[in-house]
Amino acid sequence: MKRIIIDYQKCDGCKSCSVACMQAHRETEGTVYDLDLTDPHNESRNRILKDADGQYKPLFCRHCDDPKCVESCMSGALHKDPESGHVFYDETRCGSCFMCVMNCPYGVLKPDTVSKTKVIKCDFCVNAGGEPSCVAACPKQAIYVEEV
Amino acid sequence: MKYVIIGAGVAGIEAAKTIRQKDSAGEIRMISKDADVHSRCMLHKFIAGERDEKGLDFTEEDFFQKHKIDWMKGVQVTEVHPDAKEITLDSGEKISYDKLLLAGGADSFIPPVGELRKATNVYGLRNLSDAQAIVKEAEQAENVLIIGSGLVGLDAAYGLLERGKKITIVEMVDRILPVQLDKHAACAYQALFEKAGVRFVLGRKASEAVCEADGKIHKVTLDNGKEIPCDLLIVAAGVRSAIACLEGSGIECDRGVTVDAHLKTSKDDVYAAGDITGLSGIWPNAANQGKIAGANMCGGSEEYNDTYAIKNTINFFGLVTLCVGRILEEKGDQIQIKEDKTQYKRVILKDGKVQGILLQGDISHAGTWQYLIKNQIDISKIQKDIFHVNFADFYQIDENGEYRWAEN
Repeated sequence: MKRIIIDYQKCDGCKSCSVACMQAHRETEGTVYDLDLTDPHNESRNRILKDADGQYKPLFCRHCDDPKCVESCMSGALHKDPESGHVFYDETRCGSCFMCVMNCPYGVLKPDTVSKTKVIKCDFCVNAGGEPSCVAACPKQAIYVEEV
Repeated sequence: MKYVIIGAGVAGIEAAKTIRQKDSAGEIRMISKDADVHSRCMLHKFIAGERDEKGLDFTEEDFFQKHKIDWMKGVQVTEVHPDAKEITLDSGEKISYDKLLLAGGADSFIPPVGELRKATNVYGLRNLSDAQAIVKEAEQAENVLIIGSGLVGLDAAYGLLERGKKITIVEMVDRILPVQLDKHAACAYQALFEKAGVRFVLGRKASEAVCEADGKIHKVTLDNGKEIPCDLLIVAAGVRSAIACLEGSGIECDRGVTVDAHLKTSKDDVYAAGDITGLSGIWPNAANQGKIAGANMCGGSEEYNDTYAIKNTINFFGLVTLCVGRILEEKGDQIQIKEDKTQYKRVILKDGKVQGILLQGDISHAGTWQYLIKNQIDISKIQKDIFHVNFADFYQIDENGEYRWAEN
């Protein structure tokens, strides 16, 4: 499967990946230049964390080999696609219980801020050609896609 | 190889999937009392009329066909004979197996109060059949009495509110959701339910309930002598493992079916997973047990070791809560609370280790708490506001790009 590999030491914390993710998943039309960064509907699926020593630690969904979010999903909304290996989310099936948020050991998932009915989850930009927007936007090549 | 799985809940389904992955030719038969595969966690959506039977199905389309599983639905297993390697169905039919999985779940517990067990308008809320019966009974009911204010009791109330019923909930503890929440967080939900029209009677028990000529209970007397009129009763007082069919089988049971670390029962070739084991009532744990039991039925030797089960999420009226670990304060605890108008956060720390977390309003990125608590990670050296401790402080990456928690 393809995974976004993270070379965190190259990350300079610019958050271009997060902006790219917000742009890729915005509901309105437009370019990144008119993306409203303060609109709570525009949420990023990835985050850059900073550890206690000041090092940037990019947090991206791993589409785990043994995804604990899928194991916790009581509605069938989350499933690991046997072909691509990616973990996809079907919001029409979601029961909004958020056990997946509780069960992700890395704290990647969150409920959507506005309606608290959906999970904010990386979809590997499958609707935008399957080339993750975050990767294309990284100026440091701290993230890149690799077959694993 | 002939695999028989009793139960079509998540444990049974996950076991069947795992068996099919490992043994493409084996014969898999599932037998369930349930006529539809359904998620018990969504029964309130059925009662509310938000979803139909199909909308509760958590499996993929054509699941049984795709996995070549022979599913006997609406069938009850009455006896298990491990020495003869066969089971008996309610029709009298006998079915033989090479490997058997007991995943028949649990049944609602109706306490022996008055004539609750005899009345025809008293229901548990465990199966889709319960929810269907409740919807039917609700057609001519106006006043609904729910005994117990745990998640099941509140689910029932949430669903029936949509049907415009007058609902009273009796709870013996002095707050709602007493297992999951502290008083502060419980009050937030209580206020939302009250605003929607639910009446709570807290710190009281039902003490008498008598069937009238129509076989129904029309009033319940509480331990303070007060009477509550009702046409429909829902008892949400916990569950008991469904082990009745194992009587005389020689399969060791305690509160549930006794299993070893491989989820094997006391009899060879008989495994158990899910609520029937009494190990945990939590969906993800049941799913995990199903996978492990399924693998072991195919000759594996996987162990069930991610046993932590004191965890829950709650979502009513758009107010979300996550609670993991201990909620009640004990001597020597250090408690930190953060609160503003949109959220309430409370953590219990002891000797630098998190014992319990309660987050209400915002549970974003909260998955790390379960790891910190169940593995008793020492966080005393991390110089941060405790609510800002996150995976960055334990960040490791494996060769295949997956994350790993740093050794403590």
